[in-house]
This record gives sequence, C-alpha cells and structure tokens, in this order.
Amino acid sequence: MARIDLKNLSIHFGGFKAVDDVSLTVNDGEFAVYLGPSGCGKTTTLRAIAGLVSATSGDILFDGKRVNDLRPSERNIAMVFQFVSLYPHLSIAENIIFPLKARGVAKADIARKLDWVTGIFKLGDDLRRYPSALPPGARQKVALARAVIREPAALLLDEPLSAIDEQFREEMRWELGHLQRELGVTTIYVTHDQREAMSLADRIVLMNHSKIVQVAKPDTIFFQPSSVFAGQFIGSPSMNLIDLVPVSGGFRLGASEVVLTHAELPEAVIRNPRALKLGVRPRDVRLVSGAGHPLPVVDVFSVGREKYFAFRIGDTIHQGFDTLTDSTPGGVVFAPDGLMFFDAETGMRLETGRIAA
Amino acid sequence: MSAARNKAIDHLGRWLLLGLLLIYTVYNLGPILWLMISSLKGRADLFAMPPTWIFTPDLTGYQSVFGVGAARESASSFGVFDSLVNSVIVSSVGTTLAVLLGTLAGYVCSRFDFRGKGDFLFFVLSTRMLPPVAVLVFYHIMFAKLGLADTRTGLVLISVFANVGLATWIMKGFFDSVPREVEQIAIVSGYSRLYAFRHLVLPMVKGGIAATAGFCFIFAWNEFAFSSILTTTQAKTLPVKISTASGATGIEWTQICAAGVVLIIPVLIFFYLIRKHLLMGMTFGVLGRS
Amino acid sequence: MTDTALRPRSTGRLMIIGFLSPTVILLLFMVAYPIFSLIYYSFHNFSALRPNEPMTWAGLDNYTYLLSDNDIWARFVFTGKFVFLCVSMQMIVGIFVGYQLQKTFRGRDVLFTALMLPMMLSPVVAGFLWRYMLNSEWGVVNYLLTVVGMDKVDWLGQSTAALWAAAVVDTWMWTPFIVLLATAAFRGIPETIYEAAEVDGASPAYLFFRITLPMSAPVLFIALILRLIDSFKQYDLFFALTGGGPGSSTETVSFAVAKTAFSYFYTGEASALAMILLCIIMGLAMILVRHLSKMGEHD
Repeated sequence: MARIDLKNLSIHFGGFKAVDDVSLTVNDGEFAVYLGPSGCGKTTTLRAIAGLVSATSGDILFDGKRVNDLRPSERNIAMVFQFVSLYPHLSIAENIIFPLKARGVAKADIARKLDWVTGIFKLGDDLRRYPSALPPGARQKVALARAVIREPAALLLDEPLSAIDEQFREEMRWELGHLQRELGVTTIYVTHDQREAMSLADRIVLMNHSKIVQVAKPDTIFFQPSSVFAGQFIGSPSMNLIDLVPVSGGFRLGASEVVLTHAELPEAVIRNPRALKLGVRPRDVRLVSGAGHPLPVVDVFSVGREKYFAFRIGDTIHQGFDTLTDSTPGGVVFAPDGLMFFDAETGMRLETGRIAA
Repeated sequence: MSAARNKAIDHLGRWLLLGLLLIYTVYNLGPILWLMISSLKGRADLFAMPPTWIFTPDLTGYQSVFGVGAARESASSFGVFDSLVNSVIVSSVGTTLAVLLGTLAGYVCSRFDFRGKGDFLFFVLSTRMLPPVAVLVFYHIMFAKLGLADTRTGLVLISVFANVGLATWIMKGFFDSVPREVEQIAIVSGYSRLYAFRHLVLPMVKGGIAATAGFCFIFAWNEFAFSSILTTTQAKTLPVKISTASGATGIEWTQICAAGVVLIIPVLIFFYLIRKHLLMGMTFGVLGRS
Repeated sequence: MTDTALRPRSTGRLMIIGFLSPTVILLLFMVAYPIFSLIYYSFHNFSALRPNEPMTWAGLDNYTYLLSDNDIWARFVFTGKFVFLCVSMQMIVGIFVGYQLQKTFRGRDVLFTALMLPMMLSPVVAGFLWRYMLNSEWGVVNYLLTVVGMDKVDWLGQSTAALWAAAVVDTWMWTPFIVLLATAAFRGIPETIYEAAEVDGASPAYLFFRITLPMSAPVLFIALILRLIDSFKQYDLFFALTGGGPGSSTETVSFAVAKTAFSYFYTGEASALAMILLCIIMGLAMILVRHLSKMGEHD
C-alpha cells in the first residue's frame, strides 16, 4: 500500500501536451477515479504512474520516493487494461500466477496465493480453462485477479469495465468497489463514465484538456461543481445551461420574458451584476400545470413512472426530468436549491452557499 | 535495482542488438551490392585479389546482355539478348493469363459455397509445394510428343500453371475484403451478378490485381527448374542462359553479373511500386506462395 | 460462408462452372495427369529415350532398387542435413531479426523493404553470385577471411564446406521470408499484452520466451513447414552453386531425380524416386493444411 504523489507532472508527445502540470496526492488506501472526456490526459497520467510512458517534467513519488526512472516491474504496481490483456496461450490459473512466476516466487507461495485470489473472485471452476472460453466480463475478472495476487502497492485500472456488456458491468462495478474496500489497496481508476466514477470513487479527479479541473468527493463535485465543464460533465441527463442577462432589478432568463429578481437570488450573484450562466440539473426542473406559461413545455414522454420533457426558453430547448404525473403540464419552474451560477466569461461557479448537499 | 544501472543495462543491450542487426544487414545486402559493383568490372578487375574498389567501369557484360556494341559480333547464334526477349515474353504472357484465371477462380471461391471447394483450394495450394522435378519427368515426355519442347508456348503454359495457384489465393483474399453488400445491392437493383462482378467488384480490387500480377511476374521471371529442362536452345530464358554461360575461358562472370543485375531490376521496380503495402502484400503473397 | 441472399439459382452455377473450369482443367492436365503418369511409370521399366517402346511391368523393382542403393541413401542423408542446417539457421536468425524489426524506428520501413530483396532473386542468380564470392582463389569471402587473419577455405571444393556454404546461401536467401512472417506475427500481438507483462514484472527475455514466442507460434509453425518443404525440394540453388559437386556430394534428392531422368534417362527409376520425394512433401503439406484449418477454427 502506498501514497502516490504527482508533482507538476507534464507529459509531452512531440508538440502535444498530453498532461500539463498536474499535481495530486492519492492517499494510502484511497480509491481515486480519474474522470474526463477522451483525450483529456487521464489515461496518459495513469500510464505515467505505471511507468509505461515517461514524464517530460515533474516527479512521481511512491511513499515519498521518486520513481520516475524505475521500470514498471520495479514499481510494485498492478494494472488492468481497457481491452482484455490476458495471455491467450495460458490457462486462467497460469494467467493469474504469471506475475509471481515472472518474479520467481516460490511454488508453495504461488499455490497459496492462487487459492486466496481464487476464493475472492470465485474463479475455482474456470482455472483450467483458457481465456477464449470465458465471456469478456469474466476475463476482466481474471485480469483483476492477476493484478491483485501480487498484493501491489497500488492498483491501476484503465477503463476496465468499458468493454463489458451493460448488464455485467453493473455487477462488476459493485464487486470492484467492495473488493477495493476489503483489500484496502490504493487504487487509481480511469474512466470516461461519470456514473462509474460517482459510484466507486472516494475522490474524483476531473480532467479536461490535459489539466485537472476539480478534485473532490463525488457528492461535492455533483452539488458544487467548480465550473461549467464540471457541472455539465457530471450528471445525466446533462445540466441545463441558461444565459442570465443582467437587467435592472434582476436577470433575464435567456431570450425569454422571465426575469429573476434580486430578491430571488443569492447575495454573491447580485453583488456584482454581469453576464452569467445559470446551471439547472434536469432533476431540479419541476412541471407545473396551466396554459400560457412563460417557460412552456414543448414535449413530454414517459418511461415508466418517470417523465422526460423538453421546455423552451426563448428559442432554445432544454431538458427536464420529473416523476410527477400531471396530466396536462403547461410549463416549468426551477427548484431554488438547484440553481447554480457561473461566470459567463471564466466558466467558474460563484460560491453561493445555498446549494443543498 | 538502481535507476542508473537500469539505464546502463538498457543501453548495453540496445547496442548489442543493434550490432547484431547491422551484421545481418551486411550479410543480407552486401552480396547484392557486390553483384552490382562486379557487373561493372572488366575481366582483370573481376578476378583481382585483393578485390579492387576503384576501377574503370567496363560495360561489356551489359553489352552482351542487351546485344549491342562489340558483343554483338562475338555473340553466338543464340545470344543472351535473345534469352532476355524470351524471358520478357514468357513472363508477361504467362502472368497475364495466370492473373486472369486466378481472378475468376478467386472470385468464385470467395463468394460461393460449392461442393469440393475445400478440395479445390487445397489442390491449388499444393501446386506451390509440388517439387518441379516430379512433374518434369512427365512434362519432358509430353512436351516432346506435343511439339512444345523448346518453345515459348510451352514455357507460357508452365508459367500459367505454376502461378495460377498463387493468383487464386491472393485474389480470393482481396475479394474476401470486398463486402458482399456490393453485389447484393446491384442484384436487388436488377443488375446481373456478372455485371456486378465486372463493373463494381473488379474496379474495387484493381490494386490487388496489380500486386498479384507483380508477384506472378517475379516468380515467372525467376523460374529456372522447368525452363532449364524443357528448353534446349531457342526458348532459353535469361536465368537458363546464364546458367550455361561458360565459354572457352570458363564461366563468363561478366555476363553473369550483368544478367544478374538485369534480373533484379523488375524486383526493384515492383518493390518501389508497392512500397506502401509491401509488408501486408508480401505476407499475403508468400503465404500463398511456396 | 453460405450466402443465402445470393444463393444463386442458375446464374450462380453457370458462373462457378465458367470461372472455375479453365483453372481446374489446366491443373488436372498439369498436375493430376502427370502425377498419375508418374505413379504408372514408377512401376515400369521405361526410358524416355525410347518413348514408343512398350513399357514392361516392373512391379516394385524400381523402389527396391532405390532403397538398396547406397548412393540414393546418401542423397537423402545430404538433403536431410541440408534441410536441418539451413532451416534451423533461418528460423533462429529470422526470428531474431523479425523481433528487432517489429519495433518502430526511423528508417524501419526502408530497411525492412531492402532486407526482403534476396528472397525475390532468381535462385540461379543467387547461386552464381555466391559461387563467385566463394571462389577459393579470388572470392571476396576468402579475402575477408584473410583480412581478419583466418585461413582461406575451399568452400565449394570440399564436401563438408560445400554443405555449409549451401546452407549459408539458402539462409541468405530465405531468412527474409521468416523475418516477414515473424514480424507480421509479432505485430499481431496487442500492445496491451506487452504492457501487462511489463507491469507484471516480466524481464525482456522472459517476455520473449513466455509471451511473444508462444503467441506467435501458429504463424511461425507455418513458416517452418513451408521452409521445410522448400528446402527439401531444393534444386536450382545447387545447380548454380555447386553443380552437385564436389563429386556428387551436394546432390539433393531433387537433383538426383533430375539427373536420373534427364541425364541417364532411367525414367522408371526416376519416377519412383520422385514418388518418394512427393510423398515426403505431401506429408509435410498435410501437417500444414491440418494446422491451417485448426487455426481457422480458432479465429
């Protein structure tokens, strides 16, 4: 088990900055999830920690010791890859014990450890089979067993669930989270799936354009996103973003006639009136009945008990999501607790202190 | 293990591997360079010991291969140049026919299931493994009976037979990479299957046909065992001719070296033309071959 | 493979027959017919010098004669030695070079292309070229040996040296073939497999022998069988390089068939020997076909 520190880590490929001045500490036993759109540098960061790519500048420290120049095999880490990387010519058992054999661990120890992981992952029936005989989900479980058997200082997971079918993925996700807590191994997990990140992480490291955008607990990042990007990247369906145009006595909502008066707004917003963006999660949009509503509902469809709907502000269409069974919804209102305000220019959120957490 | 030692080991290993690779490269390419240098040497330089590195180029060898200059008069009734003409004719006609047959057979094997398809493909593949001498015993007798011995027609027949298997396998591979939907759409739109083949599928595998033709040409061009036994004078190809290029003064090395370079030229042209697809194309080609 | 939507009615059958029959007829005439004739000849006393004389039945005489002839055994022994030597050298060198060339570096493609050249040469050119370079008096190889202080070797005038010389030349020509297939096989192994092994702590040597080689074994096996077949029937190279000499010490089985059939005109005996050669090669080919179809199932 180890604490991992990244200090001003930069990785350049030719002229392209894949990772740009990233600093972060992952604590011993923590489950950290790197989240971000593809190409944001999260996988490159992980590979640098593993030693598969080298840092252009900056340091990587394990328990305070610089490991930049150590080979992957000398860093005592284990890794699971996005696409299954089992050795097809070896049986499941041989695959699992490969890291031990490669290091020349004694036979008795190998057998004991194999028993141990086989028990944890319930792989007893498959040990003699070959990877091609297992479904992709089960193969990834074997890859995980192979990673864990060495009791590594850190477990690095590169989108391990993304190549698995939906149904099995859910199951694996629970299992993975449970396992990590049981083993208490420092884990860095890379994904572009925000739901995976939200459900697994002790802390989420949100990246975009080669930089860290926000590091926070899942709830914090959801309720107090640092920026428009963080707010929109997390949550599904995505957060609505509405222009707030300063007018006398308040802010006009986009191209509509609706004006939010100063009385309805938090202190931080009215203190310095300027162009802002209003963020509202679809969950925080409520359906109301009545005709001639200024924020009219234009379309509704039901999925079981839930209603997804579209509403109009001026000419732009936004989304909402509610469980009310109102027969003739006419318009929408926003839950006051769900309003988030962002600076239109910088995209940063204004600290309003009124967000429910 | 320290990081510094890691680096030292990495470096040492890399230089060692690089050195071995360099030795192999010299072993691999040296002889070809030596052939090219030697082809420009006169008799005296050719046998100089130690070998001469700086010398006046002497083109006698090339003159005799192309039948020009002084070599023209001294050439025997059937010269090296005549054999070069034979080689060009036999390889070109043979390649054209082999690719034509191979394209048709490859298409059918790619698109249809029919009884005996597996046997047919194995049969076709086996022609590449057949020891030439085994069938030559019969050809030798048959060619004499049919009046094909020592004729270009006979060699063309051999060249087609020897390459049609390769052409079928490679073309089948190229056709396999064309989606079946191409024909399905055409047929649904009311065109005939033959029309779809000629006007839609064939243009899509043009590059493949060219590559196939390149391989067949080179194999036909280099072919020796059949030609050496089935020709005596008139139909000798260049490889056969140089194998018998010994005059009163022993082996005619000047001619052999020049002819060797001439025989390499089509290979170089082919390599240049398919340079982008060489790795894939050659893997395809040699797997179908041999 | 069955194409139900296109499952052809009459046009399909016509097309199959029309497209396939020229090739089938050609191959029946040029392969099947000769082989049946070969079998027939091999059981008769027959000489191509007198094609119109009636053949007389010889039973197994041709075969028993061959199997009791020490010279023929010597051809098989020589061919075996040659095959073993050159194929093992080619495999080792080819796998090594292929492994170096699967890495990406500047100029790799140019080097790779250039290294393929020897295999595309006419074997006769290769044979003569090396005969020229291996000449004991004025050959460049012996010159280089004297430069590094070694004695000259009479490469082609001495049977053991000639065997080695032939193996070196065949290796020169056909190592690129192994390089080509080995590189293709190595490049077919996904990058993540290597990364996983690296993280798992495998040393480069462990990685090569436990991951790379076993994973590319199916393709390397094809390469091996093809080379065994090709070198077993080798004829052209010896024709040009050694002419079978010194004496008849570098005559391969193919060479012996050609000599028996076309110099001595013992056609019946040559046919029997060709049949034996054919059976050995077909045996190897069957192994290859079985392997190929097994590989097909796995994919």
